[in-house]
Amino acid sequence: MQLHLLNRSVASSHVYRDALRAMSDDDYLLLIEDGVYGAVAPLVEHFSSIAGRLFALREDLESRGLEGRCAESVIVVDTEGFVQLTEETERTVSWF
Amino acid sequence: MNNADSTTALLVVLRHAPHGSSWLREGLDVALVGAAFGQTVDLLFLGDGVQALIKGQQQGPLGQKGTHPTLDMLAMYDIETLLVDVESLAQRGLTEADLQLPVTLITASQLPHLFAQHTPVFNF
Amino acid sequence: MRYALLVQGAPYSHQAAHSALRFASALIDRGHRLETVFFYHDGIYNAQRLATPPQDEPHLIEAWQRLHHEQGTALLVCVAAALKRGVIDERESQRHGKQGHSLAASFELTGVGQLIEAAMTHDRLVTFSP
Repeated sequence: MQLHLLNRSVASSHVYRDALRAMSDDDYLLLIEDGVYGAVAPLVEHFSSIAGRLFALREDLESRGLEGRCAESVIVVDTEGFVQLTEETERTVSWF
Repeated sequence: MNNADSTTALLVVLRHAPHGSSWLREGLDVALVGAAFGQTVDLLFLGDGVQALIKGQQQGPLGQKGTHPTLDMLAMYDIETLLVDVESLAQRGLTEADLQLPVTLITASQLPHLFAQHTPVFNF
Repeated sequence: MRYALLVQGAPYSHQAAHSALRFASALIDRGHRLETVFFYHDGIYNAQRLATPPQDEPHLIEAWQRLHHEQGTALLVCVAAALKRGVIDERESQRHGKQGHSLAASFELTGVGQLIEAAMTHDRLVTFSP
């Protein structure tokens, strides 16, 4: 089981497609940095195939003014939660 | 989690095209050093990374080295497994005949297994 | 658990170093050990001795040095990536006939082999890229 990190906005980079294609059925995806722009409707629809396994980093949402606009389907975690996700998964793969 | 089918091979994923940035070169360096350290190294060309394999590349006009000579050295380092994502080729109008080295084509359903089975994975 | 970080973004250009430092402090707070940070690609600029951010911005180079002093974290900088970008220690500077050196204290130049080793020997490796 792996944790994938994505730091690019789905509006400007196609790398999210390769990340999704590389994910196994039980893998998690955490949006960080500019990746969190993808946590907001309608962009979040690009992640409909991994519902329940999509996370976004609270600090990066807050600093971008997005915390109140984040889609309900996204699980918001702070950096401590980010560390917890790396504990629960065997490995982290970063997409940029 | 069942690890019975895991390999201890290192996977280096190359996702950037040559010349435009140093990601491809520096990713290949990690692969070569891994092999020199006695690790089994598999290379996966994904996204724009498939452009690394295209025939007819040259050095840049200021003498920038490019990465095509490094690809020819891979066999010397016992890096034999060059995996290429079929979909990335198709998206870019490429086929296996356009590539400078023999490769193993990877289909969409094989891709997640590659990531799950290798340890560690370096994604460049 | 024993953690290693791979940092590939230049400070003050991309968020990678900020994200990595925040992650570092959170993992330590949760009782883990941050044993190694490896700087590669443009991440090697995190080791610039002369970096002088304005006072109202975080001093990222000093933040890395604090990790080294307080946690014993090894700050490893890829020598090949660093030298061509002008980050050089005293020894390499003399060897190449240069004047002055630019590698900050507590950082050390090392080979990519150390990154491979970190990936093999630590429980977790987390990469922060530009």
